[in-house]
Amino acid sequence: MGSTLHRTELQGYAYATRSSHRQSARLLARHDDAGLRIEIQGDGKAVIGGAYLSQVTIDPPLGRSPRKLTLPDGTVFETDDHEGIKQLTGRTHGTVLHDIEAFRPRLFGVIALCLAATWVLWRYGLDIMVAVAIAFTPAILVEQIDNGTLKTMDFAMAKPSELSDGDKAEVTQIYRKLLASLPEAEREKHSFDLQFRNMPGVGPNAFALPGGTMVMTDALAETFSDPDVIAGVLGHEIGHVVEEHGLKRLYRSLSLYVLIAFLAGDTGPILEDVILEGNLLLSLSFSRAQETSADRFGLALAKEAGFNPSGLLLFFETLQNAYGGREPTQWMSTHPSSSERLRAIEAFIDTL
Amino acid sequence: MSIGLPSDAKPFKFKGNAREWFGIWIVNLLLSILTIGIYSAWAKVRAKKYFCNNTYVEGRNFDYHATGKQILIGRLIIIAFFVVFQVILTTAPVLGLILAVGLIFAYPWLIVRSMQFNARMTSFSNVRFGFVGTTGQAVLVFLIYPILMALTLYTTFPIWDRAVKRFSIDNHKLGQARFKFDAGLGAFYKALLAALTWILAVGVIGVLVTGFSFSAFYIALDNAESDPGVAIAAVGLIYLMFFAAILPAAFIYQALVRNEVYNTTTLEGGHRFASCVSAPRLLWLAISNMVVVVFTLFLMLPWAQVRMARYLTSHTGLIPGDTLDEFVNQQQAEGSAAGDAYTDLEGIDVGLPV
Repeated sequence: MGSTLHRTELQGYAYATRSSHRQSARLLARHDDAGLRIEIQGDGKAVIGGAYLSQVTIDPPLGRSPRKLTLPDGTVFETDDHEGIKQLTGRTHGTVLHDIEAFRPRLFGVIALCLAATWVLWRYGLDIMVAVAIAFTPAILVEQIDNGTLKTMDFAMAKPSELSDGDKAEVTQIYRKLLASLPEAEREKHSFDLQFRNMPGVGPNAFALPGGTMVMTDALAETFSDPDVIAGVLGHEIGHVVEEHGLKRLYRSLSLYVLIAFLAGDTGPILEDVILEGNLLLSLSFSRAQETSADRFGLALAKEAGFNPSGLLLFFETLQNAYGGREPTQWMSTHPSSSERLRAIEAFIDTL
Repeated sequence: MSIGLPSDAKPFKFKGNAREWFGIWIVNLLLSILTIGIYSAWAKVRAKKYFCNNTYVEGRNFDYHATGKQILIGRLIIIAFFVVFQVILTTAPVLGLILAVGLIFAYPWLIVRSMQFNARMTSFSNVRFGFVGTTGQAVLVFLIYPILMALTLYTTFPIWDRAVKRFSIDNHKLGQARFKFDAGLGAFYKALLAALTWILAVGVIGVLVTGFSFSAFYIALDNAESDPGVAIAAVGLIYLMFFAAILPAAFIYQALVRNEVYNTTTLEGGHRFASCVSAPRLLWLAISNMVVVVFTLFLMLPWAQVRMARYLTSHTGLIPGDTLDEFVNQQQAEGSAAGDAYTDLEGIDVGLPV
């Protein structure tokens, strides 16, 4: 029967299987009983290959680059006749995508959507990714992080505490009082544990590890005898633990790094550095926001536990007087600048 | 400065355009963001395919054959490994340290796997590339040489750089035809000398014109902590040095070396290559691209990429020996997409240098 109602002919080039041998060729298509059959012919009607269209691999359209058909035996037919291919194959895998990509006014919608999505990803998406990652982090792992960090610290920079048992007991009591004011659920979620270390060179300070371990330097207890100050500093550190700042920062920087590496792709030489530097500045601002948040948490907790919240104020004022004038400008730092921080603390105490 | 390609060279040609690539790029980006990065694997394939498909020489183009699924699996493996490594590093630092030392040796292996993958997934005129470099060679080039280079205070940098390029080019094949690299060491040292001369000249002129004094600068730096103005001035000076001296010097070196590498590379079958890029042009393109891209919130990035691709291709040529019809595919190991994901993440460029 072999009806030839729609006889299609496309001009292009053909490659033999696994070879760079290239020749001008044409593609002929006709319907027969088993379906639409295509045949590739070289010069002088020599048949290079043929197959039913259903067996042919059709590369999805991509811009105006040549369309490519690969026959089951590996023969390749390539053509710039985009209209012809469209009529031959109808809608194929990838046609929708190709449509959306076309440079038309509609693309402005895509741009707007893209900018909005970038903003949403930055503002909320990262937080959600981080929250999911934290939810999937087993508690035992977080405890292990604490153990590992403590061991490294003891090895590298910390010595056993030289405080008297009486001093330690006093501080521990303040710590217990603060913890008692925490909601029951928070107390059970983290394994709070206060450690004393002698860390020369670090000065009066305390820091929290993600699992709830807290390290206080001897210098802090020696410099400040006022329980309100100790309560203010420890409250701040408890804030870091309860609000899971350590894990959040870790996961956030990891996901940002991976996202930028894979999304931005090949941005070219200088631009990559611009992105990385911008990212660093943004992560500093994130870290400053965490400090402010922990300040507020600590102030509220200290007040709740019956301490005078202005203890934290006294702590920073003393530090500023001792080490004053030696801090980097705000935007370069992981911590809010002291004067700014003092003002914020004062303002927040007023609202308590 | 522009010398042009030899008259018998057929220039490469990039036929893509910024409008078209913009559409593909922005849709890639949108889908990647909406899928929190998962689609980026398919986006990568589409991007690479677009640039390959539109790069022509002698009427034939390149193609890229990896699938999104391959890339995604490779990336998931690398991310999983990355997470496990971080966890071990924080929970058991000693074990983590041992692992980190092990990783140093895994690095050359991953690079070779990545180069294999990229070569196998790229074709020219229907014939796939191949990569036959071994991990042993990579250990030598990426671990031993850098150590020796550090020991010689980087005076041997050109030797190392030549070794890297030889490793990459001599191990690449098109079908069964091998590439051969034959650049002399002299050209690499000449390029380095030209770059250093530029830095020195800018430095001397800068000091003469501004009356800049090093001792005053150091004294000021010592007091920088109390005076933020000095810190800002210092940062500004570092940026000025970067844009006026170091960046141009880097481009001078790269342009000279690129030309030398292409001009001395041959492909079995009597084919040769040529390159005539100029450092000032490259520098101008890179800096103006950066400015435009940053000020358009990255929306002009596709335009910048097309502009760079056009310049590079039109200043690169093939001097065909015999016919281009006689390359034949060869069966070869495919490498791994995990290696490719690793080099993506670390920003290592392993692709074919066109």
